[in-house]
Amino acid sequence: MPTPTLTQSLIIALLQAILVVVFIFVVVPLTLYAERKVLGYLQLRLGATRVAGSLTGLTGFVNRNMWKLGKVPMLSYWRGIVMLVGDVVKMIIKEDILPTKADKFVFFIAPAISFCASVIVFAAISFVPGTLFVLPKFIPIVGGLPVSGAVGDVNVGLLWILGIASVGVYGIVLAGWASNSKYPLLGGLRSGAQIVSYEVPLTLSLLAPVVMSGSLQFSEMSRSMAVGLPYWGIVPQFLGFFIYLTCGFAETNRLPFDMPEAENELVAGFHTEYSGMKFGFFYLAEYINMTVVAALASAFFLGGPWLMPFGLHGVLNPFFTAHLPAFLVPLLCEPHAIFFVVKIIFILFVYIWVRGTIPRYRYDQVMAVAWKYLIPLTLVNLMLAAAVRYLTV
Amino acid sequence: MSDAPIPETTPETPSGPFVYDYTTAPNRQVVLPKTVPLPGYRTYVAEQKALVEAEEAKWQKQLADFDTAKAKAEAEGKDAPKAPVKAVAKKNDTDMVFPAPTEAKDPTLLHLVNGLGDKVEEAFEQAGELTCQVAKEHILEALRLCREDAQLKFEMLADETATHYPAAQGFAFSVVYHLTSIARKKRLRLRILVPEGFEPESATQVYPSANWMEREIWDMLGIRFANHPNMIRILCPEDWEGHALRKEYPVVGWGQRDIDFREDRGGMLNRIAMEKAGQLGINLKRPKAE
Amino acid sequence: MFKNEEMEVNLGPQHPSTHGVLRVKLRLDGETIKHCTPVIGYLHRGVEKICENKTFFQGQVWTDRMDYCSAVANNLGWAEANEKLFGITVPRRAQYIRTMLNEFNRLASHLIWLATHALDIGAMTVFLYTFREREDILDINEAFCGSRLTTTALRIGGLREDLPPGFAKLVNKFLAKFPACLEEYENLLSENRIWKKRTVGVAKLNAEDAIALGVTGPVLRAAGVPYDIRKAFPYAAYAEMDFEVPTRTEADTYARYLVRLAEMRQSTRIIQQCMDGLPEGPVMAKIPKILRAEVNEVYHATEAPKGEIGYYLVGEKGSTNPYRFHVRAPGFINLQSLPKMVEGSLLADIVAAIGTLDIVLGEIDR
Repeated sequence: MPTPTLTQSLIIALLQAILVVVFIFVVVPLTLYAERKVLGYLQLRLGATRVAGSLTGLTGFVNRNMWKLGKVPMLSYWRGIVMLVGDVVKMIIKEDILPTKADKFVFFIAPAISFCASVIVFAAISFVPGTLFVLPKFIPIVGGLPVSGAVGDVNVGLLWILGIASVGVYGIVLAGWASNSKYPLLGGLRSGAQIVSYEVPLTLSLLAPVVMSGSLQFSEMSRSMAVGLPYWGIVPQFLGFFIYLTCGFAETNRLPFDMPEAENELVAGFHTEYSGMKFGFFYLAEYINMTVVAALASAFFLGGPWLMPFGLHGVLNPFFTAHLPAFLVPLLCEPHAIFFVVKIIFILFVYIWVRGTIPRYRYDQVMAVAWKYLIPLTLVNLMLAAAVRYLTV
Repeated sequence: MSDAPIPETTPETPSGPFVYDYTTAPNRQVVLPKTVPLPGYRTYVAEQKALVEAEEAKWQKQLADFDTAKAKAEAEGKDAPKAPVKAVAKKNDTDMVFPAPTEAKDPTLLHLVNGLGDKVEEAFEQAGELTCQVAKEHILEALRLCREDAQLKFEMLADETATHYPAAQGFAFSVVYHLTSIARKKRLRLRILVPEGFEPESATQVYPSANWMEREIWDMLGIRFANHPNMIRILCPEDWEGHALRKEYPVVGWGQRDIDFREDRGGMLNRIAMEKAGQLGINLKRPKAE
Repeated sequence: MFKNEEMEVNLGPQHPSTHGVLRVKLRLDGETIKHCTPVIGYLHRGVEKICENKTFFQGQVWTDRMDYCSAVANNLGWAEANEKLFGITVPRRAQYIRTMLNEFNRLASHLIWLATHALDIGAMTVFLYTFREREDILDINEAFCGSRLTTTALRIGGLREDLPPGFAKLVNKFLAKFPACLEEYENLLSENRIWKKRTVGVAKLNAEDAIALGVTGPVLRAAGVPYDIRKAFPYAAYAEMDFEVPTRTEADTYARYLVRLAEMRQSTRIIQQCMDGLPEGPVMAKIPKILRAEVNEVYHATEAPKGEIGYYLVGEKGSTNPYRFHVRAPGFINLQSLPKMVEGSLLADIVAAIGTLDIVLGEIDR
C-alpha cells in the first residue's frame, strides 16, 4: 500500500466523516422508530401506525391492493415506518422560536456544542479493524487507497472519547442558562451536577478494561478484550459491565436518571424553550450518545465489537471453516461490522426496555447512587481487574 | 376585516345558540326570591298551625255559607243546597314522606344546648340531621366547645358554607358549619345568621380546614371573616366584580363576557360595526388594492 | 457578587403533572421547597350557581362533570341528598345496583389515579396497563346506561332502567380477570426499589394534621384513621355489605398507594356481593314528575373515591329549583394539605404529593 499524501489523507478522512454522519442519521431515526414500537409492545399498544395514511404512500399502495385482493393488510402495523423520515422532516420545517429574553448567541451555540461533541466521539470508534474498503482505481487523487474502519484510531482513543463526551454537558448547562427561564435553569443545573458526578464511576469502570488490555486505543482494547484474553471479557468484568451500563444511562439522561428533562417536574428540562432543529440537535445528541455508550459496551464488555457474542467464535470457528459453504466463512468467522451493529442494537433495546419498566429516581437519590454506591463499587471492580491482570499476564 | 358582502339587514338577535346581546339574554334577568326558606322547628310549627287555622277558618266559612244558602233556599222554597264536605287530605300514593323538623331529642344536641346556654337560638332535628343555631357573636365558643368537650368531640369540620336570603328581615345570610365526629360517628350542623356587613369570627382558629372554605364563602357570597389568615378570593380573580352566588347575581355574569372573552364568530360584530359606521357616513371598509 | 436568593417557580397552570390546571406557586432554595401556595380557580364554571337555576333533576349532568373520573360517585351523593331532602325511599334493588356501579366507579377512579401517579413518578407502562382494565369498566358503564365517562346513570328515586340482559356475564368476566391484573401492577411497583425510594416517607401527613385540615378518603386512612363513610354513616346498600376498611399507619405516599390497592380488592368483594345478593323488585320509587320542595336543608356526605363528597341543599317551599346547592368537594379540601405535605422537601416530591392526593380540578374549582 502506498503511503497517502496529506491531501489524500484529508480527503479520505472527509469521506470517513461523511460515512460516520450517514451512519448516525440512519441509526438515530431507526432507534426512534424502534423506541416507539418497542415501547408500544411493552405497553400493549401498536406504537406508531398512522404516519402514512391507509391509502397513501408505499404501504398504502400495498394495503390498498391487499384490500382489493380481499385480504386484511398485515402491513398496517408497519405503516408508521414513515416516521423515520417524518421525525426529521418535522424538526427541520418547524418554526424556530427564539425567546426574547434569551442570550441569543449562547442559545444558538448550545445545541451545536451538544451535537458536535457527541458526533466527534465517533472519530475514535473503529467499526472494522483495519480496512473497511479500498477505493476504486478510477477515482481521481484517492483512487486505490484503503479506507480504514475508523476516522482516527488514535492510541489514546479512550481518552478522546471520554474527554469529548464530557464536553457535551456544556451544551446542556449553557442551554439551561441561556434560555433565561426557570425550568431550563433547574434542568441545566441538575444535569451539570449529575453528568459530572457520573463521569467518575463511568471512567473508573472503563479503567478496568484499560488495565486488563494494557492499552487506550479503541481497536487494540476491543481486540484484547475479545480475543487477547484467555476468557471472555465480561466474565471478570461482570460488575464493571453493569456499573458501566448504569452510568451510561445516567450520562445519556435516560430513565431512570432523566433528571435534566424530568418531564413531570421540569416540563422538558433544559430544552423547554427550544424548538425546531435546535431542539432536534439535542434530541439527536441524546440518541447518538446512547449509540456511543452501546458501542463502548459492546466493544469492551460484550466480546469485542466485530465478533460473535459470548466468545462463540473460538468454539465455532474450526467447525465453521470445516463445514460451512465458502462464502459464509468470511462473514461469520472473521471480524465483521455486522456483529458490532447487532450488539449496539441489543444495548439500545435494553435502554428502551428499562425506560418502559421502571420509575424515575429523585434528584438527590441519583446523586447518592453515584457517590455512595457506584464509585466504591467501581474501585473494587478496578482492583479485581488489576488482580486478574496480575494473575494472568 | 373580511371583504365579505355586507348583508342588507343586520341580524340584531340572530337565531341559534349564540346570543349576541347579553344585556337582554334571558339568563341575565334576575328574579329575587320572595320567601326566606330558613328551616327551623319553630317556624315550621307556626306555619303548620297557621295552615290548620286557615283550613279551619275556610271550613267555618264554608259552613256559614252553607247556612246562609240554606236559609235563603228555604225562604225561596227551593231545594236545599248540598251540604259541604270537609276536604280530606290527599292520600300520599308516592314513596315520598316529607321529613318534618322535630324537637331536639338527641343527647348530643341536648348536651350542646346545655353547654351553650342562652347563646343557642334554636335547636332541632330534621331528616336525621342535628341543627343548632347559635348567636352570631358566639360561634367561635360554640365551635370550640364542639371540638373540645369530651361528650361532643367533633374533630373535623367537614364543610362550611353560606346561603343568601335577600328577602329576610334582620339578616342576609346563614352560615352553616357541618361538623363530623369520627370517633362517635355523629354529624352536627351549626348555623349562624349574619346581616350584611357583619364579619363573623373565622373558624380557622379552631378548625384549620376552614381556611379555604371561608375564602370560598367570601369569594362566592361576600361574607368576610374576622381573624382569617388570608382573606382573599380563591376561585375568581382578585379583581372580579360581585359575588356570584348571591341571589341578585345573574347566571351569565355581569358583562365581563360581552367585552373581553367573546370571540367574534363569523365576523358578525365586524359586520354590525361596519353597517353602523356606514349609517354615520364613515367608510370602514379597507380600500381595495389597485 | 454572590447572593443567596430564593427562586420563585410557577408549577402550572400548564404543566405535565398538575392533573389539569392547578397552579402551585413555589419558592425554591435550590431544589428545596421553602414555601408552597396552591392557586386554583382556572376551571371555575360556577356549577353551584348553575344548579341553583336548574330544576332538581337537571342538576345531575353538572355533578357528572365535576369529578369526571368518578361520575357515578358524584351522582350517588347528589341523588341521595335529593332523596333525603324529599324523604324518598329508594327500592332495595336500586340500592344494590347503585352500590355496584359506585364500586365500579371507585375502581375506575383508582385505576386512573394509579396510572397518573405512576406516570408522574416515571413508570410509564403502568399507565397503559391500568387503562386496559378501566376500559372494561367503561364498557360495563356503557352496557348499563349507554354512556362511558359522564354516565348520568342514576335518577332521584332510583335508576332509570334495570340491568340490561347479559350484564351479569360482563361483570363476572371482569371479576374473574381483575385480581390477576391487580397483582400485575403490584409486581411492577410494590417491591420496586425506585418506586419505594420515591414514595416511602414522602409527603407525610399525620392523622392529627389530616383531621385538622379536613382531609378525608384514602389519604386519611393511610394515616391510620379508619374513617370510611360507607362504614361510619352507611348509605345505599353498604350496611348489608361485608367489607373491610383498609388502613395503614405510615401516612406517606407509599401507604396511600397500598391503601388504594387494598380498596380496589375490597371493591371487587362488594361488587361480587351485590351481584350475588341482588334482590328482585322495582328500580324506581314512585315520585311525581315535578318535584316541589318544602323548606328543608340537608347535608349528605358519601364516600367518593377521592374522599368525602357532600351535597348541601336548601329547599324553598313550592320551588322546583334548589334554593342553595353546595358541593363539598373532596379534592378542594384535600388540596389544602399540600403545603403541609411538601414544605421542606424536594421539588420532585411535590409531583408525588399532587399525585397521591388524587385531585381532579373539575371538582376543585367546580
